[in-house]
Amino acid sequence: MTINTHPTLPEFEYVRPETLAEASEFLTRYPGEARPFLGGTDIFVRMRDGLITPNFLVDVKKLDGTNDLRFEPQAGLTLGAAVNMNRVIASREVQAHYPLLAEACRSVASYQLRTRATVVGNICNASPAGDTIGACLVFNGVLHIHEVNGLRQEPLAEFFLGPGKTTLKPGDIVTAIHLPLPPKGCAGVYLKLGRNKLSDLSLVGVTALGHPDPSLPSGYRFRLALASVAPVPLVPTQAETYLANQPITPETIREAAHLAAEACAPIDDLRGSARYRKEMVRNLSAKALSEVWEKLK
Amino acid sequence: MEKANTQNIPSPIGENKQRIDARDKVTGAAIYADDFQFGNSLLHARIKRSPHPHALIKKIDTTKARALPGVKAIVTGEDFPGYIGLYLQDRFIFCRERVRYVGDPVAGVAAISEEIAQKALDMIEVECEILEPVLDPEFGVSPKAPLIHPDLGQYVVASFILPKPGTNISNHFKIRKGDVDSAWEKCAAIVERKYRIPHIQHVPIEPHVAIAKVDESGGVTLWGSSQSPFAQRNLIAQSMGISQSDMRVIAPIVGGGFGSKAGVSMEALAVAIATKVKGRPVKLLLTREEEFFTAFVRQGLVAYFKMGCDEKGRLLAVENRFYWDAGAYTEYGVNITRASGYSSSGPYEVPNVKTDSYCVYTNHPVGGPMRGFGMPEMHAGLEQCIDELALQIGMDAVAFRKLNCLKTGSILVTGSKMHPTGLPQCVEIVAEAIGWGKKSPPSAPHKRRGKGLALMWKAPAMPPNAGSSAWVELAEDGTLNVGVGGQEIGQGVFTVAAQMAAAALGVPYESVRIATPIDTRYSPYEWQTVASRLTWSMGNAIVRAAKDARRQILEVVAEAWEETIEDLDIVNGVVISFKSEKEIPLKNLVIYGLPKPGDQGWRGGPVIGRSNFMPTYVTGLDPETGQGERAVVHYTTGAQAVELEVDLDTGRIEILKGVSAFDVGKAINPEMVKAQMEGGFVQGMSSALFEILQLKGGVVQNPSFVDYRIATSADIPKDLQAYIVEVAQDDGPWGARGIGEHSMVPTIPAIANAIYDAVGVRFEGPPFTAEKVYLAMQDAGLIE
Amino acid sequence: MAFHKVNVTINGEMEQVVVPSNMTLMRMLREILAFTGTKNGCSAGECGACTVLLNGEPVNSCMVLAVECDGTEIITVEGLAGDKQLDPIQEAMIQEGGVQCGFCTPGILISSYALLKRNPNPSEDEIREALVGNLCRCTGYVRIIESVKEAAKRS
Ligand SMILES: Cc1cc2nc3c(=O)[nH]c(=O)nc-3n(C[C@H](O)[C@H](O)[C@H](O)COP(=O)(O)OP(=O)(O)OC[C@H]3O[C@@H](n4cnc5c(N)ncnc54)[C@H](O)[C@@H]3O)c2cc1C
Ligand code: FES
Ligand code: FES
Repeated sequence: MTINTHPTLPEFEYVRPETLAEASEFLTRYPGEARPFLGGTDIFVRMRDGLITPNFLVDVKKLDGTNDLRFEPQAGLTLGAAVNMNRVIASREVQAHYPLLAEACRSVASYQLRTRATVVGNICNASPAGDTIGACLVFNGVLHIHEVNGLRQEPLAEFFLGPGKTTLKPGDIVTAIHLPLPPKGCAGVYLKLGRNKLSDLSLVGVTALGHPDPSLPSGYRFRLALASVAPVPLVPTQAETYLANQPITPETIREAAHLAAEACAPIDDLRGSARYRKEMVRNLSAKALSEVWEKLK
Repeated sequence: MEKANTQNIPSPIGENKQRIDARDKVTGAAIYADDFQFGNSLLHARIKRSPHPHALIKKIDTTKARALPGVKAIVTGEDFPGYIGLYLQDRFIFCRERVRYVGDPVAGVAAISEEIAQKALDMIEVECEILEPVLDPEFGVSPKAPLIHPDLGQYVVASFILPKPGTNISNHFKIRKGDVDSAWEKCAAIVERKYRIPHIQHVPIEPHVAIAKVDESGGVTLWGSSQSPFAQRNLIAQSMGISQSDMRVIAPIVGGGFGSKAGVSMEALAVAIATKVKGRPVKLLLTREEEFFTAFVRQGLVAYFKMGCDEKGRLLAVENRFYWDAGAYTEYGVNITRASGYSSSGPYEVPNVKTDSYCVYTNHPVGGPMRGFGMPEMHAGLEQCIDELALQIGMDAVAFRKLNCLKTGSILVTGSKMHPTGLPQCVEIVAEAIGWGKKSPPSAPHKRRGKGLALMWKAPAMPPNAGSSAWVELAEDGTLNVGVGGQEIGQGVFTVAAQMAAAALGVPYESVRIATPIDTRYSPYEWQTVASRLTWSMGNAIVRAAKDARRQILEVVAEAWEETIEDLDIVNGVVISFKSEKEIPLKNLVIYGLPKPGDQGWRGGPVIGRSNFMPTYVTGLDPETGQGERAVVHYTTGAQAVELEVDLDTGRIEILKGVSAFDVGKAINPEMVKAQMEGGFVQGMSSALFEILQLKGGVVQNPSFVDYRIATSADIPKDLQAYIVEVAQDDGPWGARGIGEHSMVPTIPAIANAIYDAVGVRFEGPPFTAEKVYLAMQDAGLIE
Repeated sequence: MAFHKVNVTINGEMEQVVVPSNMTLMRMLREILAFTGTKNGCSAGECGACTVLLNGEPVNSCMVLAVECDGTEIITVEGLAGDKQLDPIQEAMIQEGGVQCGFCTPGILISSYALLKRNPNPSEDEIREALVGNLCRCTGYVRIIESVKEAAKRS
């Protein structure tokens, strides 16, 4: 055991390729040594912490399409990887069609950090605490990934493998996240519990989205995503299924919240105990679902 | 020539003058220690630190590190055999033989870049024999505990500190007043409680930094962010065996101190390393993480209280045991132990008091002084006991406090008499302002509201003879340059110093400058910028120095005008005569003097006033009873009240309103006094709700702002009020006493009492995190 | 480690500097260009003392690489005031007593300045939210918040 006093960013080489192809090629050439970065707000911290020591940081912020923020009424939202969170928050289209995403972005750190922090960086970092991941999950987000052999798309729901672990391979560059059109008549909330009122990492984060769905027995579909309570951002499907099949009442909402709490597997850490986290998943899920239900009624 | 209008010239005392340093601070022009530029000769230092809480050093091998290109010097404890310490000389600059906490400096490197210095650290090989650590102060005093300082008996120690060689106790302070044992029978209600106050940190936003340079001739210059440039000069010179006059400390304004930059801590490391690379400045800048690992902490405290009152609610007896978790060395801890002892009754008159306050060595980070100097920790428990006692006897908590609190002339715990005090007014004011006794409805069904209140007292804790000095010098244009050795750490002392100098000499505030940076070679001596003592002590020195200059000026003018001094005055920078109604601006005489008539020579000359102040009336305390004539110079007293709301769904606490009232004797600058009350309240609130240095096996688990949370702009109450009470202090300038620290003393118990009022739970200690509150409510059956 | 040439406009002046890859914007400002108004309180994006405007938007300069700033425009606290005239937020901070030790002040000024640019009439809650990334240990924030309100009135 030593104490890390974090002097400076360790030495590395800054690389800025001109094209996506060039970038993927470079990243493939130095697997394990080269990493892409956007705002750097995760990667710089991890480098100072001594957790990773890449020899090359590949700046992918200027590459094709990574700066686009595009809403198409037929297709939905495409959020380029390099679009920072403040741009997402300020976007009229996001505010109009995905206010939940703006709300989640607004809960991240501070204004000045969000000038750099990106949604795609938040996703690629694959921290269970990532605040914007839940919104992207409940909107059924799909990642656009550039790889050496071309492009592929990957549903966000299948992307996370563990804390900091994703399906990305060396050479993969996420260029954008695409959110399909939001379900008609939907409403959402993000409830984040930190130690401070604002600016903290989430001790527990609950994303809830609901919308009318006549095909379901309850007439409504509810989506939930939970932050900081499992090794990966968690979707408690049992709770979702339960609400699909039961009439929506304060009692069934409570039961769904209970199921959400049952689904999670939090740990004890510096920020909070597993016991408390589980309780908070229950209480905040109940609160989030009720708030959404109020908006839907 | 300006006309002196003696009417309507407001004295700057009691005026809300604009901060003297504000313009520099808002334009980025203000220079802090890390801002000095040293060019290419600058070397960077990094410190190899102990990863073990307690171990013997068997071998240090620096060969590989020395061979690294760019490394200019490596030092270890071998090189510096001198002890160092403020009250108790219990440590070496670099560890010799033994390491005593995780972070203890083992070796130092100077290199041409931080990166190389850091690499060199990894190449230094240290072999250790690991020893059992002491990680709890109660264990520390037990006979089973390993000795952390086997040589305690040989250490040089101040006369009023009483270590117990052969134990881990570096000071044991006792109060034996009256007879507690027989008092308990007379009590109608008794409360007995144990509290555990965690280690926290000061967290100035400016980290520690020191740059040291040693000349060929051996002269040492140290630039640093420092509350104690003179103490550093003295202690470092002593330890290194050089003359104090060859040790020069240059200390620009400080980016927040709160005690963490008092005394000597990392500065000595930079000086030591610099001795091996003569002629080159060596910079040691602590990273934020290193701050959390190695800078002073506020000591942990395990406190036992027993308190009793009669059926009318009169306090009869208090019995305390304090175990201070002082850490590996005790730069200030021994005196915090003493201060908490001689204040252990709280701001109450209690006939029977028995206190044992122990300063205990542990293998935790080093305890330093922190805003309040033991008082927030002690009051945290004490003021909750008062609430509980009032409840037991069926009295309102405010009425109970009014009955028992100190009034002018009350007999104190040390046997002396309380000087004039406005504490009763403070209680009235905060009770009124918080709407005591009225319950307002919560903002939502899942919330509960509560109100709480607490009192405090605190004296400047320092050696009896801590001195101040000052000079004032007039420039050609009649402006006044004031030399002080006390430091501007944000509290506004330069502004207050300028106001006092202006008032005492008779010049406009705007024409006063403070001679900065503090430089021990040119600035007058000041003991330290601690203990909320500058407005009072340095203020006295400034007033006397200004009067000295004034006398010199008036003597010259009196002689020239053939009048007596008594008929003259200096008003707004002009000497005037009440008798002859003559006048002359200072600028016409303060450098070149005045010509004698008929070209017969000159009178006067450059004016420089100088003086000092040292309390000469503080007496010792009996080592067995803690009783004495005048233990301290004075006590600042005050009260705070809060209203808060608890969220039953999360346990989260929101402070809705905070009210402070303190008796400051005289507010030299009322808005700045209020600003101290607000800032202290929020720091106290932050320590109550968020702060804890999480120590596990002696290792800090949360060494960054990510997990050491402090209050942000979003956390503070929407309503924060501050009230000034002024009951003059007999030995203070214009009656002033200090206010810097006091405002965070009663905050923890005020909040704890309010939480109890809201939801009926109490805790062994802060922080009252949402989690703790929630789980306690659950365990108490208040929520599912 | 390779060095990179960076052309950057700071407070209206063109500068050319050569920096290593791992140098942050904060270190470039403080150590190479001696714009020491920008403060280092944590080097980890947490305290906000290093906040500067990068192309008009506030960033934690400790979390930006200097090489990334090639071709950009930077405003530091030294660039807020005009030739003689302080910016209203600077005036207000002096008048309302928003400054104590002053170490957080440059970052607070930049954040507040940027807030007032994008929202000339912020509510109290908006001010608090805009400043959560700027830790201040001295003032308890009260007078800082008042300063921003006052500056909004003035400009
Ligand atoms: C002070 C502070 C506070 C924070 N608070 C919060 C908070 O409240 N909530 C929260 O969720 N997070 C928080 N974070 C974490 C961080 O800011 C976010 O996760 C942010 O969204 C990361 O985005 P970025 O663009 O900076 O990512 P980067 O650091 O640039 O990258 C993150 C990771 O993704 C990889 N990556 C980046 N781009 C790509 C790509 N195009 N393709 C493939 N992989 C890629 C990188 O290699 C890296 O591993 C905080 C961080 C700091 C420093
Ligand atoms: S120094 Fe950059 S945020 Fe603290
Ligand atoms: S004024 Fe000192 S940190 Fe804000």
